[in-house]
Amino acid sequence: MLVLTRKAGEGIVIGDDIRITVVELKGGGVRIGIDAPRSTKVHRLEVYERIIQENREATQWDIADLDSLSQSLTAEKKL
Amino acid sequence: MNKIMSRFGEIEYDPAKTLSFPEGLIGFESLREFVVIPSAKEGLLFWIQSVDDPQIAFVLTDPTNFFLEYKVVPDQNECDKLGLASPEDCHSLSVVTVHQDKTITLNLQAPILYSSETCRGLQVILEKTKYESRTPLPAVKPMPAKTEALPASG
Repeated sequence: MLVLTRKAGEGIVIGDDIRITVVELKGGGVRIGIDAPRSTKVHRLEVYERIIQENREATQWDIADLDSLSQSLTAEKKL
Repeated sequence: MNKIMSRFGEIEYDPAKTLSFPEGLIGFESLREFVVIPSAKEGLLFWIQSVDDPQIAFVLTDPTNFFLEYKVVPDQNECDKLGLASPEDCHSLSVVTVHQDKTITLNLQAPILYSSETCRGLQVILEKTKYESRTPLPAVKPMPAKTEALPASG
Protein backbone atom coordinates (compact mmCIF):
# COMPACT_ATOMS: atom_id res chain seq x y z
CA MET A 1 0.00 0.00 0.00
CA LEU A 2 1.22 3.48 -0.83
CA VAL A 3 1.36 5.58 2.33
CA LEU A 4 1.64 9.38 2.08
CA THR A 5 1.82 12.03 4.77
CA ARG A 6 -0.51 14.98 4.21
CA LYS A 7 -1.38 18.07 6.27
CA ALA A 8 -4.76 19.77 6.56
CA GLY A 9 -5.47 21.55 3.28
CA GLU A 10 -3.23 19.24 1.29
CA GLY A 11 -4.50 16.54 -1.02
CA ILE A 12 -3.96 13.63 -3.33
CA VAL A 13 -4.93 13.10 -6.96
CA ILE A 14 -5.91 9.59 -8.08
CA GLY A 15 -6.04 9.07 -11.83
CA ASP A 16 -7.39 11.88 -13.97
CA ASP A 17 -10.53 12.75 -12.12
CA ILE A 18 -10.40 11.91 -8.41
CA ARG A 19 -9.14 14.44 -5.88
CA ILE A 20 -8.96 13.77 -2.16
CA THR A 21 -8.33 16.63 0.25
CA VAL A 22 -7.62 16.54 3.96
CA VAL A 23 -10.10 19.16 5.18
CA GLU A 24 -9.54 19.12 8.90
CA LEU A 25 -7.94 17.14 11.72
CA LYS A 26 -10.05 17.19 14.82
CA GLY A 27 -10.37 15.07 17.95
CA GLY A 28 -8.59 12.02 16.55
CA GLY A 29 -10.62 12.10 13.32
CA VAL A 30 -9.77 13.30 9.84
CA ARG A 31 -12.33 15.05 7.66
CA ILE A 32 -11.74 14.14 4.06
CA GLY A 33 -13.11 15.87 0.98
CA ILE A 34 -13.58 13.80 -2.18
CA ASP A 35 -14.12 15.13 -5.68
CA ALA A 36 -14.97 12.31 -8.07
CA PRO A 37 -17.19 11.76 -11.11
CA ARG A 38 -20.78 10.87 -10.21
CA SER A 39 -20.33 7.39 -11.66
CA THR A 40 -17.59 6.63 -9.12
CA LYS A 41 -18.97 4.93 -6.06
CA VAL A 42 -17.64 6.34 -2.81
CA HIS A 43 -18.46 4.57 0.46
CA ARG A 44 -17.14 4.28 3.97
CA LEU A 45 -15.02 1.14 4.01
CA GLU A 46 -16.83 -0.50 6.92
CA VAL A 47 -20.23 0.07 5.29
CA TYR A 48 -19.04 -1.39 2.00
CA GLU A 49 -17.55 -4.42 3.73
CA ARG A 50 -20.72 -4.94 5.77
CA ILE A 51 -22.78 -5.10 2.57
CA ILE A 52 -20.37 -7.62 1.03
CA GLN A 53 -20.62 -9.73 4.18
CA GLU A 54 -24.42 -9.46 4.23
CA ASN A 55 -24.62 -10.51 0.56
CA ARG A 56 -22.38 -13.50 1.29
CA GLU A 57 -24.57 -14.57 4.19
CA ALA A 58 -27.66 -14.08 2.06
CA THR A 59 -26.44 -16.84 -0.27
CA GLN A 60 -26.69 -19.38 2.60
CA TRP A 61 -30.29 -20.49 2.59
CA ASP A 62 -32.27 -23.61 1.98
CA ILE A 63 -35.07 -24.23 -0.46
CA ALA A 64 -37.28 -25.83 2.23
CA ASP A 65 -36.96 -22.69 4.39
CA LEU A 66 -37.91 -20.52 1.47
CA ASP A 67 -41.13 -22.42 0.86
CA SER A 68 -42.23 -22.42 4.50
CA LEU A 69 -41.26 -18.78 5.03
CA SER A 70 -42.96 -17.69 1.87
CA GLN A 71 -46.13 -19.45 2.91
CA SER A 72 -46.19 -18.08 6.45
CA LEU A 73 -45.42 -14.54 5.28
CA THR A 74 -48.30 -14.67 2.85
CA ALA A 75 -50.60 -15.98 5.58
CA GLU A 76 -49.56 -13.12 7.89
CA LYS A 77 -50.10 -10.63 5.14
CA LYS A 78 -53.66 -11.79 4.59
CA LEU A 79 -54.60 -11.45 8.28
CA MET B 1 -35.15 -23.44 -22.83
CA ASN B 2 -31.69 -23.59 -21.29
CA LYS B 3 -30.56 -25.61 -18.30
CA ILE B 4 -28.28 -24.64 -15.44
CA MET B 5 -27.30 -26.23 -12.17
CA SER B 6 -28.15 -24.75 -8.80
CA ARG B 7 -27.54 -25.89 -5.22
CA PHE B 8 -31.05 -27.33 -5.42
CA GLY B 9 -30.65 -29.29 -8.64
CA GLU B 10 -31.09 -28.57 -12.30
CA ILE B 11 -33.18 -25.60 -13.41
CA GLU B 12 -34.77 -24.95 -16.79
CA TYR B 13 -35.11 -21.35 -17.81
CA ASP B 14 -35.93 -19.12 -20.72
CA PRO B 15 -32.73 -17.27 -21.70
CA ALA B 16 -34.85 -14.33 -22.84
CA LYS B 17 -36.10 -13.88 -19.29
CA THR B 18 -32.99 -13.32 -17.24
CA LEU B 19 -32.21 -10.40 -15.00
CA SER B 20 -28.86 -8.84 -15.78
CA PHE B 21 -26.67 -6.88 -13.40
CA PRO B 22 -24.19 -4.84 -15.47
CA GLU B 23 -22.05 -4.41 -12.31
CA GLY B 24 -22.91 -7.69 -10.58
CA LEU B 25 -23.99 -7.58 -6.95
CA ILE B 26 -21.72 -6.03 -4.33
CA GLY B 27 -19.00 -8.58 -3.58
CA PHE B 28 -20.13 -10.65 -6.59
CA GLU B 29 -19.12 -8.27 -9.37
CA SER B 30 -18.29 -11.01 -11.87
CA LEU B 31 -21.78 -12.58 -11.82
CA ARG B 32 -23.87 -10.62 -14.30
CA GLU B 33 -26.76 -12.88 -15.35
CA PHE B 34 -29.41 -14.30 -13.05
CA VAL B 35 -32.51 -16.42 -13.57
CA VAL B 36 -35.62 -15.29 -11.69
CA ILE B 37 -37.48 -18.14 -9.97
CA PRO B 38 -40.73 -17.77 -8.08
CA SER B 39 -41.16 -19.58 -4.77
CA ALA B 40 -42.82 -22.99 -5.23
CA LYS B 41 -45.46 -21.94 -2.72
CA GLU B 42 -47.35 -18.83 -3.64
CA GLY B 43 -45.80 -16.03 -1.64
CA LEU B 44 -43.91 -12.81 -1.24
CA LEU B 45 -40.45 -14.27 -1.63
CA PHE B 46 -38.71 -15.34 -4.82
CA TRP B 47 -35.13 -16.10 -5.73
CA ILE B 48 -32.53 -15.41 -8.34
CA GLN B 49 -29.93 -17.94 -9.43
CA SER B 50 -26.62 -17.03 -11.01
CA VAL B 51 -26.30 -18.46 -14.51
CA ASP B 52 -22.53 -18.70 -14.10
CA ASP B 53 -22.12 -20.02 -10.54
CA PRO B 54 -24.43 -22.79 -9.28
CA GLN B 55 -23.50 -21.95 -5.68
CA ILE B 56 -24.82 -18.40 -5.80
CA ALA B 57 -28.50 -17.65 -5.38
CA PHE B 58 -30.29 -14.90 -3.48
CA VAL B 59 -33.74 -14.68 -1.97
CA LEU B 60 -35.42 -11.38 -2.86
CA THR B 61 -38.64 -9.60 -1.97
CA ASP B 62 -40.41 -6.37 -2.71
CA PRO B 63 -39.69 -4.38 0.46
CA THR B 64 -42.87 -2.33 0.13
CA ASN B 65 -44.79 -5.49 1.08
CA PHE B 66 -43.47 -4.88 4.58
CA PHE B 67 -42.36 -1.24 4.65
CA LEU B 68 -45.00 0.79 2.86
CA GLU B 69 -43.05 4.02 2.83
CA TYR B 70 -39.81 2.53 1.51
CA LYS B 71 -38.82 4.24 -1.70
CA VAL B 72 -35.46 4.64 -3.39
CA VAL B 73 -35.15 7.12 -6.22
CA PRO B 74 -32.22 6.45 -8.55
CA ASP B 75 -29.99 9.33 -9.62
CA GLN B 76 -29.26 10.09 -13.27
CA ASN B 77 -26.17 7.93 -13.30
CA GLU B 78 -28.12 4.96 -11.94
CA CYS B 79 -30.95 5.57 -14.43
CA ASP B 80 -28.38 5.44 -17.23
CA LYS B 81 -26.96 2.16 -15.98
CA LEU B 82 -30.46 0.67 -15.79
CA GLY B 83 -31.53 2.11 -19.13
CA LEU B 84 -34.41 3.92 -17.42
CA ALA B 85 -36.12 6.80 -19.16
CA SER B 86 -37.55 8.11 -15.90
CA PRO B 87 -36.63 7.50 -12.24
CA GLU B 88 -40.34 6.83 -11.65
CA ASP B 89 -40.08 3.57 -13.63
CA CYS B 90 -37.61 2.15 -11.14
CA HIS B 91 -38.56 -0.67 -8.76
CA SER B 92 -36.76 -1.64 -5.57
CA LEU B 93 -36.05 -5.15 -4.35
CA SER B 94 -34.43 -6.25 -1.11
CA VAL B 95 -31.97 -9.06 -0.59
CA VAL B 96 -33.33 -11.37 2.11
CA THR B 97 -31.06 -13.06 4.65
CA VAL B 98 -32.44 -16.25 6.19
CA HIS B 99 -30.81 -16.70 9.59
CA GLN B 100 -30.10 -19.96 11.42
CA ASP B 101 -33.16 -19.52 13.64
CA LYS B 102 -35.29 -19.17 10.46
CA THR B 103 -36.00 -15.51 11.03
CA ILE B 104 -35.34 -13.26 8.07
CA THR B 105 -33.97 -9.78 7.67
CA LEU B 106 -34.11 -7.45 4.69
CA ASN B 107 -31.11 -5.51 3.49
CA LEU B 108 -32.79 -2.12 3.19
CA GLN B 109 -29.44 -0.32 3.13
CA ALA B 110 -28.34 -1.93 -0.13
CA PRO B 111 -31.44 -2.31 -2.32
CA ILE B 112 -31.48 -3.72 -5.82
CA LEU B 113 -32.87 -1.13 -8.19
CA TYR B 114 -34.35 -2.64 -11.29
CA SER B 115 -36.13 -1.82 -14.49
CA SER B 116 -38.82 -4.21 -15.63
CA GLU B 117 -38.47 -2.84 -19.16
CA THR B 118 -34.78 -3.47 -19.65
CA CYS B 119 -34.59 -6.36 -17.10
CA ARG B 120 -31.51 -4.78 -15.64
CA GLY B 121 -30.65 -4.57 -11.96
CA LEU B 122 -28.18 -2.56 -9.91
CA GLN B 123 -27.38 -2.97 -6.22
CA VAL B 124 -26.68 0.37 -4.56
CA ILE B 125 -25.59 1.36 -1.06
CA LEU B 126 -27.65 4.11 0.52
CA GLU B 127 -25.63 6.76 2.34
CA LYS B 128 -27.02 8.82 5.21
CA THR B 129 -29.96 6.49 5.64
CA LYS B 130 -31.92 5.21 8.60
CA TYR B 131 -32.31 1.86 6.82
CA GLU B 132 -30.11 -0.99 7.95
CA SER B 133 -28.53 -3.95 6.24
CA ARG B 134 -30.30 -6.30 8.68
CA THR B 135 -33.79 -4.98 9.12
CA PRO B 136 -36.14 -7.44 10.86
CA LEU B 137 -39.66 -7.72 9.52
CA PRO B 138 -42.30 -5.90 11.45
CA ALA B 139 -43.97 -8.48 13.76
CA VAL B 140 -43.49 -11.74 11.90
CA LYS B 141 -43.44 -15.08 13.71
CA PRO B 142 -42.29 -17.76 11.26
CA MET B 143 -42.17 -20.43 14.00
CA PRO B 144 -45.45 -20.57 15.97
CA ALA B 145 -43.80 -22.46 18.85
CA LYS B 146 -41.33 -19.70 19.41
CA THR B 147 -42.54 -17.18 21.96
CA GLU B 148 -39.58 -14.96 22.82
CA ALA B 149 -39.81 -11.44 21.48
CA LEU B 150 -38.24 -10.65 18.15
CA PRO B 151 -35.89 -7.68 18.06
CA ALA B 152 -37.81 -4.43 17.73
CA SER B 153 -37.85 -3.16 14.21
CA GLY B 154 -36.33 0.24 13.44
